[in-house]
Amino acid sequence: MTSNPVPTLPNNTYLSGRRKRIYSLLGLCAALIVVVAVATSIGSVKIPLLTTFQILLDRLPFVDISPTWQSTIATIVLEIRLPRVILAGLVGAALAIAGATYQGLFRNPLADPYLIGVAQGASLGAIVGFLLPTAWNIPGFGIIPLLAFIGALLATVIVYALARVGKTLPVTTLILSGVALSALLGSIVSYLIISSGEKMHGIIFWLMGSFSMSQWSEVRIVLPYVAVGTAVIIIFARLLNVMQLDEEQAQQLGVNVERLKLILLAAATLITAASVSFVGTIGFVGIIIPHAVRLIWGADHRFLLPLSVLTGAIFMILTDIAARTVLAPTEIPIGVITAICGAPFFLYLLRRRKKAIF
Amino acid sequence: MKNALKKLGAICLAAALFAGLVTSCAKAPESATPIPAQITDQLGRAVTVKASPQRIVSLAPSNTEILFALGLSDRIVAVTDYCNYPPEAKTKPSIGGFSTPNIEEVIAKNPDLILAADIHKDKVIPPLEAKGLTVIALNPKTIDEVITSIELVGKVTGKEKEAADLAANMQKRIKVVTEKTGKLSPEQQPSTCFVVWHDPLMIANFGTLQDELIKKAGGSNTVGLLSSKSGYAEISLETFLAANPAVMIAGVGMGTGEDLPLQFLTSETRLADTDARRNNRIYSIDQDLVGRAGPRIVEALEQFARFIHPELFK
Repeated sequence: MTSNPVPTLPNNTYLSGRRKRIYSLLGLCAALIVVVAVATSIGSVKIPLLTTFQILLDRLPFVDISPTWQSTIATIVLEIRLPRVILAGLVGAALAIAGATYQGLFRNPLADPYLIGVAQGASLGAIVGFLLPTAWNIPGFGIIPLLAFIGALLATVIVYALARVGKTLPVTTLILSGVALSALLGSIVSYLIISSGEKMHGIIFWLMGSFSMSQWSEVRIVLPYVAVGTAVIIIFARLLNVMQLDEEQAQQLGVNVERLKLILLAAATLITAASVSFVGTIGFVGIIIPHAVRLIWGADHRFLLPLSVLTGAIFMILTDIAARTVLAPTEIPIGVITAICGAPFFLYLLRRRKKAIF
Repeated sequence: MKNALKKLGAICLAAALFAGLVTSCAKAPESATPIPAQITDQLGRAVTVKASPQRIVSLAPSNTEILFALGLSDRIVAVTDYCNYPPEAKTKPSIGGFSTPNIEEVIAKNPDLILAADIHKDKVIPPLEAKGLTVIALNPKTIDEVITSIELVGKVTGKEKEAADLAANMQKRIKVVTEKTGKLSPEQQPSTCFVVWHDPLMIANFGTLQDELIKKAGGSNTVGLLSSKSGYAEISLETFLAANPAVMIAGVGMGTGEDLPLQFLTSETRLADTDARRNNRIYSIDQDLVGRAGPRIVEALEQFARFIHPELFK
């Protein structure tokens, strides 16, 4: 009796696809490190590349290079550019994975991190912070990020409470409540902008999103939220795959659908709120990066999510470079750059593939 | 009898002449400008001032200060919410904000002269003129133009003498400063910047009053040179840090922003190594003095001179 050979897949597409994605993950990690180093050496003040690398390397433990540079240059590299680049990477990663999560949860290609009111809630909170008398100012970074965060979370809680039906959270109701509340908050935001008088410029600047004046204290606050939230979401990546089937099917396959929705929504909303509170509402990244990653590497969430994290981080750092160098020393609001750069690239990807990707 | 009559006649004649002389002297300043006056305001608009204005509305705090400085306080019928100098200005009725005056309230005051500013050009001046009201816009961009604007107001209100006196006084005070600073060589002019706001970081570049104040007070606006934008220019923190100005001046008391720019300059950790911080040359000035194109701009100049050259001005 001959033993039956283990059936193998033709061309071993699954394994080769998997290998390709793993290599891509490693490649993107390396690319991220390179991009961070490059971004730190670019700015409106000309600093020789070698000096920047020396300053960065000097910060590593066990490495000691005697300083041949002025302390001002070190301050620029380490206290102005590096936290900015890292914050940009964090926010890009956060928005990308939150977008991928929302798209997976809602099974809707148009979902983005701001769908259920986070952006408008944060905007309203921030504007209230702008308009409050400055006696309430927290030295360091002011009261605006705190109020923006509270606003974002409050908006999400309200939408969640409105959308609940008994013990379930129907996805359609969630989207509709989110859209309605966003519209209401958006109108209040518009009214406050018009009546803000001399603060209007600062408010509009905040709303368009910016990484200028980023500092380490902000990175220290955003990092835990983004790290924990991302870890939680990636742990549930396989379940998110299963969720792409009908919810009923997923439930029958053993997924606790309602609990999963709650956990993933909470995690994605937290990381979006944390990002938006410090840098303003940067659009486009959360919706386009996950789609671009799907077009290149497929929709398996076990790879989609980490690849979105890396791609989002790299994309945001690159657009931030553009934002501060194209019209130096003036800065272009980063939301403008993300749209101008991202949209054509995405359209190109779409045309190249010429197939349905969702 | 004839002698007595002659004497009486002579006295009456003398009295009549004297009375005529006195009254005509008293009227002389009022009738120095032929009414109606055709003038060109500082926005280049040709305006006809119909009569000696008795009900004046001011749409800008700087205009209010000019009116009070010329002694026209009892002719002012309305000012803006922000008109706070002199203190008497706060007792006048208000017609709204600086950029948002209430047009209906202005019209309701039945003014025969309205002093507006540049920002009222598109939305405020047209409806007022459509009602047949006389609007003069003041838009001084330099200290000399501030003095010209004062003289213009004096001309249309019949206060030319007061305006000329005020102008002369201002010129004298300016000269006290520029006499000494004019003799300084470029190396003796410390790099100075005026910080308008801290987030985003904005400084006063060429084309602003503050830039002119810095130059006249013997400083050099080197940070401004790094930006090609005129007016109030945004600048990145790293450019500011690398420029390392020797003297930093921030405006305080602006709206409800209070002294946030000053707090930023004095407490931001990343500026700890700058010359200005280490040598303790960060100064603040009341925004009302330095941001208003009115008579007190010379006081701002004197303060700037004391900040930038404490060795020359006490």
